[in-house]
Amino acid sequence: MSSRLAPAYLILPSFFLAAFIILFPLWDLSQLATHNVNRFGQIRYFSGFENLLAVLDDSLFYQSLWRTVLWTVGVVGGTILLSFPIALILNEDFAGRGLARVIIMLPWSVSLTMTAIVWRWSLNGQFGLLNKTLQDLGIIGEPIVWLASGATAFPMQIAIGILVSIPFAVTVFLGGLSSIPADIYEAARVDGASPWQQLRTLTLPLMRPFINIALVLNVIYVFNSFPIIWVLTQGGPANQTDILVTYLYKLAFRFGKMGEASVVSLIMFALLLAITLLYTRMVIRDEQTR
Amino acid sequence: MSKRARRSIISWLVLSPLMVVILFPFAVMFFTAVKPADEVLATPTAWLPSTIRWANFVEMWQVTGFGRALLNSLYVSTASTLGALIVAVPAAYALSRFEFKGKGAYRQFLLITQMLSPIVLVLGLFRLSVAVGLLDSVNVLVMIYAAFNIAFAVWMLQSYFATIPRDLEEAAWLEGASRFRTVIIVFLPLAVPAMVVTAIFTFINSWNEFVLALTMLRSAESHTLPIKIFSLVAGRYTVEWHHIMGATLLATVPVAIIFGWLQRYLVRGLALGAVK
Repeated sequence: MSSRLAPAYLILPSFFLAAFIILFPLWDLSQLATHNVNRFGQIRYFSGFENLLAVLDDSLFYQSLWRTVLWTVGVVGGTILLSFPIALILNEDFAGRGLARVIIMLPWSVSLTMTAIVWRWSLNGQFGLLNKTLQDLGIIGEPIVWLASGATAFPMQIAIGILVSIPFAVTVFLGGLSSIPADIYEAARVDGASPWQQLRTLTLPLMRPFINIALVLNVIYVFNSFPIIWVLTQGGPANQTDILVTYLYKLAFRFGKMGEASVVSLIMFALLLAITLLYTRMVIRDEQTR
Repeated sequence: MSKRARRSIISWLVLSPLMVVILFPFAVMFFTAVKPADEVLATPTAWLPSTIRWANFVEMWQVTGFGRALLNSLYVSTASTLGALIVAVPAAYALSRFEFKGKGAYRQFLLITQMLSPIVLVLGLFRLSVAVGLLDSVNVLVMIYAAFNIAFAVWMLQSYFATIPRDLEEAAWLEGASRFRTVIIVFLPLAVPAMVVTAIFTFINSWNEFVLALTMLRSAESHTLPIKIFSLVAGRYTVEWHHIMGATLLATVPVAIIFGWLQRYLVRGLALGAVK
């Protein structure tokens, strides 16, 4: 094989597989979105913006969109705020650090589906062990039927989302902290900087690229996350915990509104693309400042 | 008390609330799984069972079709991991050893495939599998999982390949070995650890996938583990929680052990891949 063409031969198989699985459905979705489609998925005639207008006319769309914002900001914000101090602690040398790291990373190894199923049982109003434990500790008096209303179910889902997102963010932060040379802290100590000043003026600025990366990757991941909400409440009760992905899933596979579901898919694709561009921008800027 | 001892105590104290919350579901799984059936839905609720009933696991295995789902999950995860690696290893090799036109564009493409999660494309993928007549077949999942894992696999592999010194390969060329032969006898043996680590994480990704399996797999015989266990919870009048918790425990603990053992490699690979 000639070495000029070699990279092409090496890269094309992965390109074709990924393109077939990802670009073909994308093209199909754009067809569905602009055509009138019956509930069996047969494309009937070109209908322009009809599906889009139907989605924009649906109050559930706006509710789900707003809840997606709350969900993403809540989970990602909570994750970053908790993960940074955790990573700082895990970066220090202390007895049993290896074990501590394994425990903190543990939720990553469990599939979201399994986690959500276990929590669905733990949150059971009558027999759940969470109510039992909270009552024993005197934190709540009466058992709470957590999943019976959006007001308790949704915050719980956000909390579970934070719990399962912490390991990834901590991993990125630990990678970042290990890249900071120790001698600059030495120098700061010699100059009389307090630990708090060192954190504010050295660690935080040096960690900014890693915080950005954890932020953006988490936003993408959480924005797309389906199992926690689907397993716990399927968006219910009465659509009170629907986010865009569950709304999309219901449109497509419960209500048979494939055209509208495709519109929601494409809206999500556009939002993801915007976030991705933001991410590549940040990486490039980061490389330039190095 | 020495400085390190004090720091150790403070660190564990600060981390302990989170650790309790992390370990809570595992405790729930274990204690529910070994409870006699009539104690699971009994009031007042109790953490501890009156006796530890290991026979629950045997019953669960027979009643739920766990074995079949386990085989399906093993098959799908293994086949999709192999598929992803077969195309990702050459691509990662090209990225780490060649300079060529379109390198940047290919990286961008990978990034986009990484950003697009299956849920956004689920309807299109569903129609694709109907069109090729593979709905309800685990093989369609193999293809899709392989495709969605390419970006991650290339990313991980490339960051490791970059750390393999080129000197050995160059020495082999000087000896007159062709580029292809050099790859086979010099490069690939050195790359085995990287491929094993990447394979394990790809495997776990496929093992845990939910929304596509939920959509594509219609009959109970083709269910993978997450869908099998979810089907025992959703839309049933009587939910046998002790069986379900036994099943989640069996499905979770082996993966958790492998993961705990491997997480430092992930920390390294991701840190390299994310910034370089």
